[in-house]
Amino acid sequence: MNEQRLQHLVDAYGGDLCRWPEAERDAARALLKAVPELAVKLDAGHQLDALLLASREPAVSMALRDRVLASALSAGLGPRRLRIWRDRLALAFGAGWTAAACAGVAAGFILSAQVSADASADAILYQATQSTLDDSELVG
Amino acid sequence: MKLEVNLARIADPDEELISRVGRGDAAAIQAMVARKLPRMLALARRMLGDAVEAEDVAQEAMLRAWRQAPKWTPGKARFDTWLHRVALNLCYDVLRRRRDIPAATLPERVDEGPAPDQGLLSAETGARVEWALNRLPDRQREAIVLCHYQELTNIEAAGLMEISVEALESLLARGRRALRVSLADLAEDRGADRG
Repeated sequence: MNEQRLQHLVDAYGGDLCRWPEAERDAARALLKAVPELAVKLDAGHQLDALLLASREPAVSMALRDRVLASALSAGLGPRRLRIWRDRLALAFGAGWTAAACAGVAAGFILSAQVSADASADAILYQATQSTLDDSELVG
Repeated sequence: MKLEVNLARIADPDEELISRVGRGDAAAIQAMVARKLPRMLALARRMLGDAVEAEDVAQEAMLRAWRQAPKWTPGKARFDTWLHRVALNLCYDVLRRRRDIPAATLPERVDEGPAPDQGLLSAETGARVEWALNRLPDRQREAIVLCHYQELTNIEAAGLMEISVEALESLLARGRRALRVSLADLAEDRGADRG
């Protein structure tokens, strides 16, 4: 590690050493300890890092989440009885892609609800083994 | 003599989950959605700069994950890396389609037009950063999205992009330099606020 390599790493990965290649972090820390003036080089990196953080993660909508859950069923995953329900719904709505998609989304809701119910049941079972927790903390 | 064939086995934090998904475990499917869908949506949103197209890409990537789960072979690759490759390929399909469509028929996108006004409220800084990201060349944006936002290691990102680590670092450095220029006024504002 030398000053030039340190500058190159700041330019590429920014000012946070945690984002640098793991194999070079210790050498960089050692160099910064030996030559404290080099810490200035990290500042420009920190400045851009802070701006990049302003770009927030997009929120996943419930509609997208449900479509993705439904697609698991359409791909042949999920409990067998839910897949049977999906097929029945598709038959009830009639043939065709749109009907199948509607049935898939409906089955996705069922899958989502079933998992939520399972999670609540698990939470209640867990709670039964604890003496100090309130029900509302676990199942809302 | 027995050969040691497991030495190169790749550790994968998703291994157990993908195995349960492949068996149709409903809780595992929901856990996979919670773990991967936000990551794939964020990747596509930053690569494409379009919310609707990003949702389509994320949904398609997850569908391919469901199809892959029952036949997934543990130890050969990390599932997260595979899923990133799928999503990136889908993003590049969208970007290629955009280039094939005459500009006049393209829907309005957030990265077109002049930069948002200076003197932004802090809540709007993110939009300005996304605007600057979307003006980068695709490969520079990809490098920054993978390393900075998706928090992949340099080796994982370089592998996904099928380039050397040195080439990745060059793309990162050029991308960050361009962002610094685009966002210079914001950096100055922040510096002044601190001063």
